[in-house]
Amino acid sequence: MTKLSTTDLLCRFSGLVAVNKVSFAMDEGEILGIIGPNGAGKTTFINLVSGIIMPTAGRIEYKGRDITYLPAHERARMGIARTYQLIHPLENLSLVENVMVGAIFAQGQGLKTARRTAEELCEELGLSDVDRDTARLSILETKKMEIARALANDPEVLFLDEVMAGLNADETHDLIATIRRIAVERRLAVGVVEHVMGVIRELTHRVIVLEAGELIAEGPYDEVSRNPRVIEAYLGGAA
Amino acid sequence: MNRNIARAVAAVVAAVAVALPAFAGAYPLQVARNVMMYMALAITWDMLLRSGQISFGIAGLFGLGAYAAILGVVRGGMPVWLSIPFAAVVAAAAAFLLGFLILRLRAMYFSIVTLALAEMFRIVIHNLHDFTGGPEGIVMPAGVIFGGNAAALYWLTLAGLAVALAASWWFEKSRIRFALTAIGNNEISASSSGVNIFRWLLVAFTVTSGIQGLLGGIYVQSYGFATPDGVFSADFTLLPLAMALLGGMHGTVGPVLGAVLLGLVSEWLKLKIPYGHLIVYGIIIIIVILFMPAGILGLARKMSRGAEGGKS
Repeated sequence: MTKLSTTDLLCRFSGLVAVNKVSFAMDEGEILGIIGPNGAGKTTFINLVSGIIMPTAGRIEYKGRDITYLPAHERARMGIARTYQLIHPLENLSLVENVMVGAIFAQGQGLKTARRTAEELCEELGLSDVDRDTARLSILETKKMEIARALANDPEVLFLDEVMAGLNADETHDLIATIRRIAVERRLAVGVVEHVMGVIRELTHRVIVLEAGELIAEGPYDEVSRNPRVIEAYLGGAA
Repeated sequence: MNRNIARAVAAVVAAVAVALPAFAGAYPLQVARNVMMYMALAITWDMLLRSGQISFGIAGLFGLGAYAAILGVVRGGMPVWLSIPFAAVVAAAAAFLLGFLILRLRAMYFSIVTLALAEMFRIVIHNLHDFTGGPEGIVMPAGVIFGGNAAALYWLTLAGLAVALAASWWFEKSRIRFALTAIGNNEISASSSGVNIFRWLLVAFTVTSGIQGLLGGIYVQSYGFATPDGVFSADFTLLPLAMALLGGMHGTVGPVLGAVLLGLVSEWLKLKIPYGHLIVYGIIIIIVILFMPAGILGLARKMSRGAEGGKS
């Protein structure tokens, strides 16, 4: 079943076309890789579907409903969640309180229920000592907190923007396993932006490739990685 | 354990505050009223600051409340007791409506507009001579509330402070804390967690402005008259701000601490060097911003953390 789709999605920043007529669809239970060289428009694309910026033209649908111009907080309530590349833990809030925010505002839970939800999420992600100050988290724990914060929305669609950046091989492995488990258990549609191709190969069912804002290829990673157009995009036009 | 001690201290302080008129004379009660008034304003300023929004408009809403209260009685024939909650309603309503315009602004732009609003209120009241009494001000025909009884006036201000404290406590214990903290940290990630940023800013701005208006109403009925330059005085913006900065921001305790210290110091300085206390305020603000941006509380926390680190 299609959870989220876009039709001819276009985003122009004054002269620059950051996302150029991208049409795609994401199904329930699917882990989709979103790849492309630097500046290809991957993060802009996530910003568009999560409502952080509004498109110039095109259409975004979530579970058959037009959400193209819906504000971000309403999309969060409907079940779209995301993480950020640069993670800013909320100062003056403990680990568990950071996670509570989504449960309170996206799910509308009371403080007590939200705390229980957040504690369960922390446990699910292997985060212990939940009353800790967020300044005392390791990098891996910070990434897990960011994922827990997104999951606190109780999403059906989740976008992960470079969550693996800065992790070593063991930690990357740990997080891949965690994400896969969560996606299966919650029947999530997951969109993953990642630069490490090993992660994309291991984690995703399918990838879309963006270059200069355009969708240039789509399919399973092994197939896409042999696509001449994709190789050219990554290595530069050897004409 | 720690929490029980804090509760016990708070209970003792509250008991002493309520009973103060039994053993203090007119002058100490007057000083206490001043300190409590500024303390309450400092708390409301801090409450909005928890969302990252710095208001320079305290005096505007305070003055608006003051005039609402006095005009409600003089022009509207309202009973004096009713004029005080009426002041709160007028200030809250003004903030609610203006919020739709100015809560789209951030950082310096928001601050400057709040400052301009305060000035606009003053100028309008200054010029509506027939209705407001103009620059000469307006006098309550019946005089000061409670016939000027020092103890009653003290309790009235204490009640105003209690409202500010209760609201601040509510902001800290409810979902509002999560909303404002998330907004103050990063609005984009807050909205991704479902926080309706405008709505919560509007709640915070309306509530804090309402309390500032309430305090203006209490102030004006405690003196029995209002002038534009008096109730819109920049003191009502700058002193609370200095107190919250000195004590420590983002909580109830900091502004309370700052108000007690700065309030008493300035009272003493007023006797030594008239108007000199304002210079001291300026110096304190500069020193605090340069050397202890988290205020006394922040410094204390840092030191206790340092001591902890030394042990382990």
